[in-house]
Amino acid sequence: MPNEIHVPSRREAIRAQVQSGGGLAAVFPYHPPRALLRAHGLLPVEVWGPPGRSSSRGDAHLQPYTCSLVRAGLSFLLEGGLDQARVVLVPHGCDSLQGLGSVLLDFVKPAPPVLTCYLPRGDRALDRAFLADELRELDARLAAALGTRPDEAALLAAVEREERADQALGELLEGRARVGLGEEAFYRLVRSREYLPAEDFAALAGRALAAPAASARPARTPLVVSGLVPEPMALLSVLEAAGATVTGDDLACSGRRRYRPTQGPEPFARMSEGMLSGPPDSTRGASVEARLQHLRQLARAAGARGVVFLTLKFCEPELYYLPQLREGLAQDGVRALSLEVDLAEALPAPLVTRLEAFVETLR
Amino acid sequence: MTLAALGIDVGSTATKLVGVTAAGDIAWRRLAPTAPRIEAQAEALLAEARAQPGGERAPTVATGYGRKLVASATRALTEITCHARGVYRRTGRAGTLVDIGGQDSKVILIGAQGQVLHFVMNDKCAAGTGRFLEVTAGRLQLPVAEMGDMARAATAEVPISSTCTVFAESEIVSLLARGTPVEHVVRGLHRALVHRVTSLVRSLGPRPPYFLSGGVAHNAAVAAFLGEALGAPVERAEEPQLMGAYGAALSALEP
Ligand code: SF4
Repeated sequence: MPNEIHVPSRREAIRAQVQSGGGLAAVFPYHPPRALLRAHGLLPVEVWGPPGRSSSRGDAHLQPYTCSLVRAGLSFLLEGGLDQARVVLVPHGCDSLQGLGSVLLDFVKPAPPVLTCYLPRGDRALDRAFLADELRELDARLAAALGTRPDEAALLAAVEREERADQALGELLEGRARVGLGEEAFYRLVRSREYLPAEDFAALAGRALAAPAASARPARTPLVVSGLVPEPMALLSVLEAAGATVTGDDLACSGRRRYRPTQGPEPFARMSEGMLSGPPDSTRGASVEARLQHLRQLARAAGARGVVFLTLKFCEPELYYLPQLREGLAQDGVRALSLEVDLAEALPAPLVTRLEAFVETLR
Repeated sequence: MTLAALGIDVGSTATKLVGVTAAGDIAWRRLAPTAPRIEAQAEALLAEARAQPGGERAPTVATGYGRKLVASATRALTEITCHARGVYRRTGRAGTLVDIGGQDSKVILIGAQGQVLHFVMNDKCAAGTGRFLEVTAGRLQLPVAEMGDMARAATAEVPISSTCTVFAESEIVSLLARGTPVEHVVRGLHRALVHRVTSLVRSLGPRPPYFLSGGVAHNAAVAAFLGEALGAPVERAEEPQLMGAYGAALSALEP
């Protein structure tokens, strides 16, 4: 039965990795080079907050208008939450993450080495070549920090494992209707991609898709969910209780990481091509036109008349285009609701009302 | 008259209950300050309604912030949907509904068929809600029900620069200490509240006609100042505090 699928928690995944003698890499969103880290014997575990904890320790180092994802992540690090990690990786997804990288390197100087890498803003040949070089550089820095030197075959094997997991993520999102899990449980499964070894995630997704749905679910209002991350996760249960279901995913933590498979003999070129192949993403500097076109297609394919944007307060890349996206969607008769959340806060009651009211307007 | 459906609106300040006939007309109503034990109070009020002719079998829709605590309700709907439904039934027109409740305010765009097209809520801050007037009335030692008339009668006003209810309180203290007449302060307070609400309306784009509901709609100065700010008259709904419960009862009539 699908609802009996056990999705290991972050904690369990970390424990299993440590017990097997492997190391951990604490990675900040949004497009970490998972294959490279795995090839170096590290399990990449993404740091999305963690949510629901005070971020006051991080506040002292940051401007007050920094998003809660960065504040919470820094607080967690300062509280010793990332002490088990062999490295901390901060990809340059936005100015706040770049700022975090600098704060860590120049001021906080935590025990695990901090590595940063720059993500190009486009997907041209030039961008792919640039990122491949960044990854080669990162490979050298990992080798220096860890003493590991994966050969080309190991790198390629890691790339292929991740690509199978990426494909599994895509199939899971496509097969949403077949998986008999509630909205929150479904997203716990989807989000285990953030910390499970690729092969474990692919197997888990395969089991979820193969299991027969427990019972046909009543007709629900289809929705696209956009934004960064579905936190607090309880929002998804609210959405379900209101009679809606997520049929289109444009979240930075899941749908925008549906990378395309790649081919070729050179591992860094493949990693780079894959990482830049996902749907248009604000954290990779996608244009508003590309974002809008993608959302329109997604809404059409999902049969959705509404898009819920889950934004984090002070998240500039995500908030910048929101008015134009809303306007563009409205031209297709697709309504939009934006809910601004703070990762440190529990689910506020007014947000529940807004979400429920939005679903009511779509019926 | 026989009740065909009930609607209960459990708001942060008051709980409202409306019984409607099969034709959708209000036939029974109750309004009471919301008690700390919401479940018990809601059921007691409902028991009273269900003792009316037809009430026993009447389907019930609950709305308002305490909607999920009404155990015997057939269904729960948000206050956005219910207020829009209630006001549309009364006015029969599309437009913009401004609802100023005890602890939040909302602006709802109503379509030609009475459907909710869009909405925005101020649910983060007490400024722009009934609470703002309540708190400041307390500081001025005035009955809140008299503030609107006083504001309209005042011949001058002082600007209240604090957008926050708590800071507005201390601003009042300094104004009074400087000898500013109370009625000028009261008029300024109304203007400040309306200023907040107007920005909310503008965020949806100006779409007259404008309607006002919620407890604050009893205050004539708010409607008048809002009309001035929006450049179009603002119609106050009849029985403005009951519009949520009325809309809930109308929804309960639907299969
Ligand atoms: S993309 Fe937004 S939420 Fe994410 S780190 Fe940058 S500013 Fe924060």
